[in-house]
Amino acid sequence: MQRSSTDKRHFIIAGVLVVVVSLALYALLYVALPLPLQASTQAATIDWVFQAHMILLSVLFALVVVFMMYAVVVFRRKDGDSSEGEHFEGNTPLEIAWTVLPLIAVVIFGYIGVTSLRTVTAAQENEVVVDVEGFQWAWAFTYPDTGAASADLVLPVNQPARMEMTSRDVIHSFWVPEFRVKQDAVPGQTTVLRFTPTVEGEYTLVCAELCGLTHYNMIAKVKIVSQEEYAQWQQVQLAAMGKTAATAGSIDVAQGDAPAVDN
Amino acid sequence: MADNEQRMSLLSIGLVRGLVGQFAGILLGFALVVLIRALAGYDEVWSTEPAWVVGAILGALGFLIAIGAMSDWFSWWRGGETPFVHGPRHPGRPTWARYFDVDYNHKVIGIQYGVTGLIMLCIGGSFAVIFRSELARSGLQFLQPATYNTFIGMHGWAALFGIFIGIGGMANYLVPLMIGADDMAFPRLNSFAFWINVPAIVLLLISLYYTWDAGWTVYPPLSLKGSPGFQLVFWSIFLLGFSSILGSLNLVATMLRMRSPGMSLFRMPIFCWAMMATSLIQLTATQLIAMSFLMLSLAREATLAMPFFVPVLNAAGVNIGGDPTLFQHTFWFYSHPAVYVWVLPGLGIISELLPVFARKPLFGYRWIAISSLAIALVGFLVWGHHMFTSAYSPNLRVWFMVSTLLVAVPTGVKFFSWLGTIWGGKLSFPTPMLFTLGAISVFLLGGLSGPVLATVATDLHLQDTYFVIGHFHATIFGGFVFPFFAAIYYWFPKITGRMYNEQLGKLHFWLMLPAFWLMSVGQMSVGVAGMRRRIVDYDPLLGGMTRFNLGFVEIVQILITISAFVIAFSILIMIYNLFHSAEVGRVAGANPWRSRSPEWQIPSPIPEQSYPRPLHVVGEPYDYGLATSPRFVAGDD
Amino acid sequence: MAVANPVAPGAGHVESAHSEAAHGHVPTYAETLANNRLGLWLFFISEAFLFGGLLAVRFYLWGGTRPEVSQFIGLLVTSVLLLSSISMYTAEAALENGNRRLFLTLLLVTAFLGLVFLGGVMIFEWGLFPSLYEGHLTPWGDKYGAVVFLMTGMHAIHVISGIIFILIVWNLGRKGHFSPSRKWGVESAAIYWHYVDLVWIFFYPAIYLIGTAVTH
Repeated sequence: MQRSSTDKRHFIIAGVLVVVVSLALYALLYVALPLPLQASTQAATIDWVFQAHMILLSVLFALVVVFMMYAVVVFRRKDGDSSEGEHFEGNTPLEIAWTVLPLIAVVIFGYIGVTSLRTVTAAQENEVVVDVEGFQWAWAFTYPDTGAASADLVLPVNQPARMEMTSRDVIHSFWVPEFRVKQDAVPGQTTVLRFTPTVEGEYTLVCAELCGLTHYNMIAKVKIVSQEEYAQWQQVQLAAMGKTAATAGSIDVAQGDAPAVDN
Repeated sequence: MADNEQRMSLLSIGLVRGLVGQFAGILLGFALVVLIRALAGYDEVWSTEPAWVVGAILGALGFLIAIGAMSDWFSWWRGGETPFVHGPRHPGRPTWARYFDVDYNHKVIGIQYGVTGLIMLCIGGSFAVIFRSELARSGLQFLQPATYNTFIGMHGWAALFGIFIGIGGMANYLVPLMIGADDMAFPRLNSFAFWINVPAIVLLLISLYYTWDAGWTVYPPLSLKGSPGFQLVFWSIFLLGFSSILGSLNLVATMLRMRSPGMSLFRMPIFCWAMMATSLIQLTATQLIAMSFLMLSLAREATLAMPFFVPVLNAAGVNIGGDPTLFQHTFWFYSHPAVYVWVLPGLGIISELLPVFARKPLFGYRWIAISSLAIALVGFLVWGHHMFTSAYSPNLRVWFMVSTLLVAVPTGVKFFSWLGTIWGGKLSFPTPMLFTLGAISVFLLGGLSGPVLATVATDLHLQDTYFVIGHFHATIFGGFVFPFFAAIYYWFPKITGRMYNEQLGKLHFWLMLPAFWLMSVGQMSVGVAGMRRRIVDYDPLLGGMTRFNLGFVEIVQILITISAFVIAFSILIMIYNLFHSAEVGRVAGANPWRSRSPEWQIPSPIPEQSYPRPLHVVGEPYDYGLATSPRFVAGDD
Repeated sequence: MAVANPVAPGAGHVESAHSEAAHGHVPTYAETLANNRLGLWLFFISEAFLFGGLLAVRFYLWGGTRPEVSQFIGLLVTSVLLLSSISMYTAEAALENGNRRLFLTLLLVTAFLGLVFLGGVMIFEWGLFPSLYEGHLTPWGDKYGAVVFLMTGMHAIHVISGIIFILIVWNLGRKGHFSPSRKWGVESAAIYWHYVDLVWIFFYPAIYLIGTAVTH
């Protein structure tokens, strides 16, 4: 004789399994979904939110799949049995519970979402401003503070950076996976992206929005260097352009050929 | 086949006639443009894009006129009467010819939709298999970037055609049967709405001749320049939109007006509720995509260059033109709800099949019915989550994040109700049930990978990566493909009167499910690691800064490609199974699944007129397991 | 909700009927009419999203501005269109009262007024005939021209189809179709025409009245 489906033992066994499977699943996800190097302060926040979501994912996935597989194993029809299952059409308190509990989860994760968004996009003092222009299929960077221009993006470590971005032709998107954050560069507008690089090294900036023929190859080198190296690099760039830092300060190269339009 | 059948000439086949009509219409359109340009005094009388625009419109009209989808209406306009009769419109022709011609029987139209949908899914899948082969290794193998970029867009739209048309198949075949109706409310409109898809498909395929490289989302300004292929795509989708609007209008009217006596709204099988929610979205939101694509067509540089989506600077440097982000708003205002169009019918199929194979009532019928409507409603408020990295107000991002997370609530109701349905049942596992359970697991993966994308901070990393690809395909396979296959196997005996081959069906499932899981998780994996979508070549080390290296990305890509091939192979097994079993399968009988739904109370295959006597419905749709419940009192008493 | 079978509560889902004819149910005129009415209103709901979308485009791109347009022409074409709605309504009423002559005449009047409206749009808003009126808006010049052409163009397509619809009804009416009790063709043409007018009631202020005029 089969136990009633509302027998407590079913739920105790399934409950234990849910806990075990959740833990196993989270471990699996941690391996299977490898985040890139954490190389900006924004990345730290984003990775924390990401892992919170992975915990949620593991628990909910385990909850549904364990109960489903438990039912598949325990409540399967025996050979030759043509009787019907138990007759119950629903359970209103249960329905209310599984409407309200997800709602609470939504509120919690909505709160996490709002605060993390605020942290990730917050303006900082002492930002290095770079004017970024995307075009088919490369990037151009100018530093309005000094007037330097470059095809590589060079930034000092541990200093907040602000990208003022626009596009010459179609929509592009600025993304360095190690910094996590991403923002479209749109023709006719200036969009802003902030991040603070924390690890010196060479990274790759890629275009993340399909922009035509060689979109896949629209990449630029990103170098995160110490403050001294950064200052030195600026000098070299200016010298190569035939300017000195003193005279360049007032020249506004930013206005170049990328019209910034208020929208 | 009967002996007295007419011999069919080629032109008496409706589809052939229609294609000839479309060809003539296209030529007429070309000629018209040349004529107008000559009269207007242009030096160059030929202009490819305007010619294709006019050709596409007249071609579609030509198709519909030639196949006869509008004949009755023309007759009405002249004052004629065309009373509705059951049965073939051209008696004496072989049965197969009905399926290639205008026919008003919703079961014929349902099959037309279903088969066309399957064909389009296969075409869409073929593109995927081709570029998956390219992506198995880094570097350029055999696809040129331009071809690759075209193929990803073609994969998207061909598969979406398959989904829309496949849903049309399930809806047109099942909804009238399930509510005990003889046919749809507007049978002629029904046929028209199906056949308009065919010229649309022709245009989509012609677009391959030109390349168009902006992906299925065709964001301007990229889609405003370059090849005329874009115009063909725009008008192809415009026509598909017509089909969606007219078809859904018909379904809503049918469900509101054609129910048999006693079939109250809350006694409709749950699939009808899913289709109600779906149809309400299609009826309304589709207008926005039609508008968006019309605007793109007019905005292209080779047509009117209307500046909706590109900035135009006046002498003072002020933008008096448009804004590329506008398109994204109008596009996603439709295309997000459209995602629910693609999955709600499939979720309805899951809810429909579980009670039958669990021998238990559907848990919380009303909650599931209402959750479909709730998902449809919330679906209209969340479009901005596709645009978290686009240029728009940061405050709006917060709103779209929270509204998107809210989708989890009605979706959760569905999952938990499904668990309640199988809990304590007497479960059996023929192929349709396997696909149903597989669908739940895959849709769960798709659903649970959603909140991390809905949260702006994490989406800033994941937007436009393979994670999105993995999430989307899990949603669509769980929400449409697996349930669609479940539906095909489940209703196959009702349609053909014969049983499919169970061994082959199980083989199909056990190949496809693990392969899909591997593919989807693999895509999410490389996406998190930093791989962008829509790239023909990739750096196998992703810049060398990932936690894993040594070709981790390439290994996963190879696995994804192998999975794609396995999935494609398993679908070929299904197609063989369907064709083969339709000929030699064992006779199934009227109700092999012991279902309580009305369509199973009538013979298989269903006669020309489904319900010669109107049904009188007196009980609940899912009263399985009620001891006092006798079997059905259907038929001739 | 229908009452369950009193003999066996919760009994079978389906039961055959004994009273109905065995050859299925041929829909009556009243049933078809109810279907058609519902279908038409669903179509209107659908179309409302198209016109709503066009309005959204207008407010997105123009915001609190609008192009410099002739207020006189705007008021004129709007009045003509409103007048045509009145004549359409009167035509339908005439049919109901059995006055077929008036009914047919007023249908033609409505179609004519629709044509006048179209002419006004084409000559003055679009500037299609520079010899009559030198229009200053072009579809490709700026967002003002583009949106004006988009909105009025989409509306004009509906006006044209409405005029064709009315002419078909007129032709059928001339041949003796329609009676006070069977007039779905007339009714649908009238509702459609009123709907197209209603859309203009929203478009007119959006193009002509709201926002400050920008000269360019």
